[in-house]
Amino acid sequence: MEELAISSEITQYIKIRLGDEFFGIDIKYVDNIVRMQHITRVPKAPEYIKGVINLRGEVIPVFSLRLKMGIEEIEETKSFRIIILKYEGESVGIIVDEVREVANVSADDVEKVFHNTSEGIQNFLSGVGKTENGLISLLDINEILNDKAL
Amino acid sequence: MDVSQYLDIFIDETKEHLQNLNTHILELEQDGENMDTINEIFRAAHSLKGMAGTMGYKRMQTLTHDMENVFSEVRNGNIKVDSDMIDLLFKCLDALEEYLSTIQETADEGTNDNEPLVKGLNDILNAKKGEEAPKEEKKTKKSEKKSKKEDKEEKADDDAKAKWRDIKIDDTVKTVISEAAKNNIKAYGITVYIQESCLLKAARAFLVFKALEELGEVVVSVPSAQDIEDESFGFDFSVIFMSDKPLDQIIAAVKYVSEIQDAVGGEVSLDEPEKEAEETVNEGVPAVAEDVPAASTASTQAPAKAANTSAAAPDKKSGKPVVNRTVRVDIEKLDSLMNLVSELIISKNSLVSVAGSVVGTSNLAFNEQIEYLESVTTNLHESVMKVRMVPIENTVNKFPRMIRDLSKKLDKKMELYMTGEDTELDRTVVDEIGDPLMHLLRNSADHGLESAEVRAQRGKPEVGSIFLDAYQDGNNVVIEVRDDGNGIDIEAVKNKAIEKGKITQEMADVMSDKEVIDLLFQPSFSTAKVVSDVSGRGVGLDVVKSKIEALSGEIEVKTKLGEGSTFIIRLPLTLAIIQALMVVVGNEKYAISLGAIQTIESISPSDVKKVQGKEVINLRGAVIPLVRLNRILDLEDVNDGSRDMIVLIAKKGDRLAGLVVDELIGQMEIVIKPMGKYAGTTKLISGATILGDGEVALILDANALI
Repeated sequence: MEELAISSEITQYIKIRLGDEFFGIDIKYVDNIVRMQHITRVPKAPEYIKGVINLRGEVIPVFSLRLKMGIEEIEETKSFRIIILKYEGESVGIIVDEVREVANVSADDVEKVFHNTSEGIQNFLSGVGKTENGLISLLDINEILNDKAL
Repeated sequence: MDVSQYLDIFIDETKEHLQNLNTHILELEQDGENMDTINEIFRAAHSLKGMAGTMGYKRMQTLTHDMENVFSEVRNGNIKVDSDMIDLLFKCLDALEEYLSTIQETADEGTNDNEPLVKGLNDILNAKKGEEAPKEEKKTKKSEKKSKKEDKEEKADDDAKAKWRDIKIDDTVKTVISEAAKNNIKAYGITVYIQESCLLKAARAFLVFKALEELGEVVVSVPSAQDIEDESFGFDFSVIFMSDKPLDQIIAAVKYVSEIQDAVGGEVSLDEPEKEAEETVNEGVPAVAEDVPAASTASTQAPAKAANTSAAAPDKKSGKPVVNRTVRVDIEKLDSLMNLVSELIISKNSLVSVAGSVVGTSNLAFNEQIEYLESVTTNLHESVMKVRMVPIENTVNKFPRMIRDLSKKLDKKMELYMTGEDTELDRTVVDEIGDPLMHLLRNSADHGLESAEVRAQRGKPEVGSIFLDAYQDGNNVVIEVRDDGNGIDIEAVKNKAIEKGKITQEMADVMSDKEVIDLLFQPSFSTAKVVSDVSGRGVGLDVVKSKIEALSGEIEVKTKLGEGSTFIIRLPLTLAIIQALMVVVGNEKYAISLGAIQTIESISPSDVKKVQGKEVINLRGAVIPLVRLNRILDLEDVNDGSRDMIVLIAKKGDRLAGLVVDELIGQMEIVIKPMGKYAGTTKLISGATILGDGEVALILDANALI
């Protein structure tokens, strides 16, 4: 019985792709997903901050998840999306290579063991989740947005 | 009925009254004989007492009641104002402010009885009583405030005022009355008049009802209880009331409620209503005949009243429009209105840009309408902005009192001179500017002004002067805090900075005076040798500066050793929408506040000179440093040096700089949008705005560039 109760704790993640690796973003942070649009550069900002966009009259900063996590940037493709996150009342957009689907991950299927991921990326992960369609690395939004460097 | 809905009004009003008292008691200190001032103080204290009473704040009421008594004696010429009394009164005001802030936080006045203050006030009263007890004893009692003469006039008016006679008593009520009569319970008719200055009519009426219900039972009220609760009545209401208590006691209970001007009553006699009605009709007012069956409301009675002898009615009419000229509005409602105006301007800007981009729309009528729309939105914005503007008066009015207290505390003679209190600023700015100004004034009083001996040596008047001048300058409001004190000792600042390890001796040797003064604005930098209670508590000018910068303002210092210093604060009139110049740098669009720009010049690259490795231009005799925006913004040089440069001459205080841009787009009204803390902006960028085509353009802060 107890086991059943725990396994019923399912968290939904937005499954995204960076290169050939899949990551999950807790859906509770996700406000919106929009296509790439004109981004106004902010001079003197850290490199991973790509600039600001206009989202329905609000000016929202956007940054590259690749650069933030220390992954090399690639040429923009049609599948690029900006995921608008709502974190502590502030909106932030992050650019990902592709948005795939919503993945259900049960708390039982999350492991703290990381395979195949470089150490730099591991700092931004809260665990690895097992899904029907394979493994996804779960992003730690606190770590990504709460960085001292910001 | 619950009085909590009046809490906001109460807090606002109380603040006003307290400020009023502060100001006038200060005046009283200067001129203890001024009857206008004394009357004003008396009125304010009286209103305060009434309001506190209504809201059920007993302690506050007690204190104000005693204060009012003292003022009343002063007004009657029985007590002379002396400095001890003024001190005590100020302490009372502080205590009241404490009550108020407790109320603001908890909706409760707290438990501090302030007994020493109450005792002090009573001592003043008693001291006087000892001298003239027999003559004036009565006057201290609240109910005796009116003079004999007024009382007589009121007697004459009583009949005209007894509107309760117009109440129609229907059969059921008649039955109740006659039944009650058997039990020795009498029926009274009572008409209660509320002071026309009263703000919380319904609350007063509620208290009257409460008082009445303790003594008996209200069987009929005109207007209805519901109407009274909704404040839909004039300044009077009438009731039929059943009680076994004597009329005098009932009337006294009603009058005990504050802000009740008068109450008249009489016994209802069931046999005579017809006769009563006739009597009134006989006075030649046809309307009254209808009034009787209709159990009319105050408004229909007004003509009848006017036709009678009472002078109150015409007064009421002429006075009313004046009262209704202003409306209290929640600042949030104004904020949302402002936001809507912002959205409208953005949408207007997109319309303009669409109209410009669609080829072949040289439709004259369309363009005319667009232009009309532009002027309407601009005017609308200005109006909304003006609505949000309040005079800085409310903030600066507390300063004379503060300087007075400081003068005593520091044992230095000083005087504060203020001008331009009516200068208006956005409400949010006015709320925020108080603390920095207070700090600067304390600074002037404590560090700026010298001791009396030093002043005497320097041949300065014994009393130090501090000036606070506010005025509007274009799109800015300037507030200057000036003193005729010692000024800033540049060498002392340098030594202090070296001592604190902020700079080295070598740096100090080459620093300009301006750079040295800027050191003062760095965190935890206080030059006072003795850390006093007044200033120098670690909260320094850096806090003042950051606060002012948070308001998009700037601060500048002018000083001359031995003669005094001036702190000049410059604040924008509005924070949300500005007129900006749109420019292109590299291939990016930027907005620069038009207020910062003096002129736009076309300069040939060959006119650029180098002075100490810095690029400068000579413009009409002034040497102005050049700022190449593309380099600062990490953009490529578009101009290879073959074309003339476009240079915006920007001004910050008395410093000029030439900002080099690549292209001018034109002037535009822009809405400043916050960028959020994750945008990684530096001081260069003061915000962002959304252009007509939906793109975001950043706003360059010209001040940070100079």
